[in-house]
Amino acid sequence: MKRLLTIGLAGLLVAGLGIGALAAELTIGISKIVAHPALDAVEQAVMDTLAEAGYTDVEYILGDAQGDFNVCVTIAQNFQAQGADLVVAIATPTAIAAAQVYDGSDIPVIFAAVTDPVSAGLIPSATDPSGYGNITGVSDLISIAAHLQLLKDLDPSIEKVGLVYNPGEENSAILTGMAEDAAPGLGMELIVASADSTANVPLAAQSLIGRVDAYYVTTDNTVVSAIDSVLAASQDAGVPFLMADPTSLASATMTAGFDYYVHGQAVGDVVLQVLGGTAPNEIPAVYQQDAEIQLNVDAASAIGLAFPVALIEQAAAIYYGGVTFEKK
Amino acid sequence: MATLLVHAVEQGLAFGIAALAVFLTYRVLKFPDLTVDGSFVTGAAIASLLLVRTGIDPFSVLLIAFAAGCVAGVITGLLNTRLGITNLLAGVLTMIMLYSINLRIMGRPNLSLLRVDTATRLIDQVWSPLGSVSVLIFIALLTFGIKFLLDLFLRTEVGFALRATGDSETMITAQGVDTKRMKVLGLALSNGLVALSGALVAQYSGFADIGMGIGMIVTGLAAVIIGGTLIRSSRVGWMTLSVLVGSLIYRIAVTLALRYGHVVGFQASDLKLITAILVVLALVLPRIREQRQRKVSACSG
Repeated sequence: MKRLLTIGLAGLLVAGLGIGALAAELTIGISKIVAHPALDAVEQAVMDTLAEAGYTDVEYILGDAQGDFNVCVTIAQNFQAQGADLVVAIATPTAIAAAQVYDGSDIPVIFAAVTDPVSAGLIPSATDPSGYGNITGVSDLISIAAHLQLLKDLDPSIEKVGLVYNPGEENSAILTGMAEDAAPGLGMELIVASADSTANVPLAAQSLIGRVDAYYVTTDNTVVSAIDSVLAASQDAGVPFLMADPTSLASATMTAGFDYYVHGQAVGDVVLQVLGGTAPNEIPAVYQQDAEIQLNVDAASAIGLAFPVALIEQAAAIYYGGVTFEKK
Repeated sequence: MATLLVHAVEQGLAFGIAALAVFLTYRVLKFPDLTVDGSFVTGAAIASLLLVRTGIDPFSVLLIAFAAGCVAGVITGLLNTRLGITNLLAGVLTMIMLYSINLRIMGRPNLSLLRVDTATRLIDQVWSPLGSVSVLIFIALLTFGIKFLLDLFLRTEVGFALRATGDSETMITAQGVDTKRMKVLGLALSNGLVALSGALVAQYSGFADIGMGIGMIVTGLAAVIIGGTLIRSSRVGWMTLSVLVGSLIYRIAVTLALRYGHVVGFQASDLKLITAILVVLALVLPRIREQRQRKVSACSG
């Protein structure tokens, strides 16, 4: 009886292996550093874009490092062992790990949601298409100067801008550095408050009350997870809060940035180019440009703020009465 | 599958060095040391900074990282022995300090080593006749070399004094040993090894990240306890071997969970759950076999 059980289990395992081995036409590995609405949206958009282009017989191997940086390499090695024909790596640590594992290989590695691919060693320069062989991708670098200018457009008297960020996040550290460089040129002063974990975000946000004329948060994964506490602090302070992630419109006074699903579609387009025969090192890295402005009228009226007409005309969406109205 | 196992062993042994360090503090010195979450990154940070900014070769960089880890261990040791702060808290305080210090060292949260000649890249090139196992052999030589050095050390007079400090502090003080100095020495050695492990892992992964030390104490303890459960011995050589075995089992569990998790219907986000289940199985199955053997021998009289 026991022997039958063992044979049965072994048989199931072999069957499982067999099912795994049934080759789909195309095997694509998609990895991300953590499950997060923005990164999930990129992952979904890539799969949707490929499906819409006619690639229906694709086996996707999805990898989620769950915040563990040391698993990133193992995930990439797993893609390699399963014979992935192409890898999409979402976020900086996952992208570097994939590039490391596929160093010198012909398998294309497409990075997504990487703020600074040049300093990450993924591409030699932002404009030079002849990259490191098999790597190219899409960067989510946001235009900090344009965002700070938006605050000026909202209210020219804004001078001190409070920035809550996690100094332990690479993307966030880069953007904060850019903000510190850009602020003086616009006649603004940046006052930063750091929070090394989601639990410390409310405290950091509250520490800025009374010291700033506006709040600003970039695409910082840690702070975004606790975004409502930043909004609450800004409302207590009676000042506007600009957020660089459109999906957080209900939790900010104003957002400027791009939709990560659209970002994912751009990644999908690059993947299609590569699948169509273009070598990765002939495709210059894409720096996402289409940023939109969205306004939260509820939050604004709560602090007695009225949006200038110019901003309302520019806005792609308005949040009013708890509902988002998109401009067609 | 074979390549996946090779990679699992590579990582199991690289992290195994940190596991040996945790063994030294937790099992030998009986000092639960949480500094490791910070000193692991310190090793990675120093190694990466030196590789990116200077021309120091990647092997010397491992030694420098070891030295930096020793300093971290000394800080915890002094906090505990000179300022009387409890062992757990002393470790936590140093770990917290190291977070900011490591950020300063790297200058940024993430340092990429993709375009730098790391130890693993050099080994891959220079030992290319060995093919795909060249890196594995290098890491194995390094890890087992450290293991044997540690075994030797624990059998010296100082090593015995260290072990006695952990076993019975009052007895060894009566024998004239300065237990405070022993603790600082043990912590220094341990964190030095952790930092060396961090430096090696950073070069293997292609980057150093401020967050890569999170949970290192847990991984280390898991390796020590898994190994200790499977290989029960009070002899130093077997104990350190069991730690490495434990680290290997953990890494293999992670690899299997990644590779076959979806076959049983798990999603990518269930990785940590499956890893834990596989570790439980690894611990429980030998015990079931033991019990069955005992029943059989009892029956056959």
